[in-house]
Amino acid sequence: MAVYRRPARSRFTLLLLVLTSVTLLTLDYRGSGSGAISLVKDGARDGFAPIQRFSDRLMRPVGNLVGGILHYGDLERENEQLRRENAEFRGDVLRADDAERERQALLDQLDLATPQDIPRVDARVVATSPTNFAFTVEIDKGTSSGLATGMPVVTGTGLVGRVAETSQTRAVVQLLTDKKFSVGVRLATSGDFGVANGQGTLKSLSLDLIDPASPVDKDEVVVTSGLQQSQFPPGIPVGKVEQATTRPGGLQQDITIVPVVDLRRLSFVTVLQWSPG
Amino acid sequence: MKARLRMTLILLVTLVVHLTVLSRLRVVGVRPDALLLLAVTVGLVGGTDRGAVAGFVSGVLADLFLQSPFGLSALVYSLVGFAVGSVQSAILRSAWWIPVVTALAASTAGTVLYALVAAMVGQPEFVSPRLPVIAVLVGLMNAALAPVAVRLVSWSLRRGGPDRPYAF
Repeated sequence: MAVYRRPARSRFTLLLLVLTSVTLLTLDYRGSGSGAISLVKDGARDGFAPIQRFSDRLMRPVGNLVGGILHYGDLERENEQLRRENAEFRGDVLRADDAERERQALLDQLDLATPQDIPRVDARVVATSPTNFAFTVEIDKGTSSGLATGMPVVTGTGLVGRVAETSQTRAVVQLLTDKKFSVGVRLATSGDFGVANGQGTLKSLSLDLIDPASPVDKDEVVVTSGLQQSQFPPGIPVGKVEQATTRPGGLQQDITIVPVVDLRRLSFVTVLQWSPG
Repeated sequence: MKARLRMTLILLVTLVVHLTVLSRLRVVGVRPDALLLLAVTVGLVGGTDRGAVAGFVSGVLADLFLQSPFGLSALVYSLVGFAVGSVQSAILRSAWWIPVVTALAASTAGTVLYALVAAMVGQPEFVSPRLPVIAVLVGLMNAALAPVAVRLVSWSLRRGGPDRPYAF
């Protein structure tokens, strides 16, 4: 191989590569999820799954060890706080049980479906996003377990996101903090409807379309609205109000909410096999 | 032929490392981009032609695992590989810090270019107030990984010694 290359030839190579890339972009755009490119992508994802599993098994103890050493103090503090919260919640659960029984009886009478009736698939988070421009995680279940694009993803605490892409054995979950994510929500106390939008940061979402006159309290819980044609079933906790301000003359309040689920430390999630009815 | 085999091996190893180990390496939520670094390094060690080709292949590999339009990374990374290659031919020295500085500058610029091209093909949300933070952090982390990358790439392109032996 000659070390010296004429610049003209290099430029020709580059032109060829740029044209190929543009062709790929066009093909992908035209196929939009069903073409040959998505078949290749699915194959790559499924093919990579065993390697990922192996590396995960290899890396997890190392990561745990390093994390344990670096964050020992934090972990101890967190443990204590969790224990305190746990005791509090146990009391809450006892009280909530009674209310839930009553609610269920009423729902049964009215013949309404609740999120509890939806078939669910548990999955493990196996990877975080391979890019800095999207907030996603990859889970170890795919179309073979009955997953499909658009299905809501939750944990026991609340909403995580939605299934954005599926292959046979893997699925990519778009987190609710992703810039492209939005969900119809309801304020738990006032019952006002709004739309929560991801901001492209891990910490908060914006809540739009809330009337300046309606009262919004800090730490108020926001749940999915489940209005007709909504992409999510009703009543899944989304976040808590962090801040609510109204600009003079504004048509809506500026509200930021914090997700109830700690998205940085997801390990298991549940996919609801639900599609908008 | 042997050089090509070694390059394929390096590409696959980089992909695996990119998707596994480096996914855990996050600073304020930002992770390094090993596939972009590979394009930069091959451009630096091997020149324009090889830089562009390596950028294209590593970009396609990156695109396989992304939801953004397919071919976007391939386009941007081959441009970055080519650009680094053209600058490389103007550099006469082979000091240790050149790859580090190049990786810093090229990865930062490459990340910004990626977001800009993404915005042009219908992903306007890639250009956000967070973009400078992401670009600079990717640049810094890639710069830290550059010495290892240069060694690997020099080894894979070696044919009686690398084109430009950067000493570490």
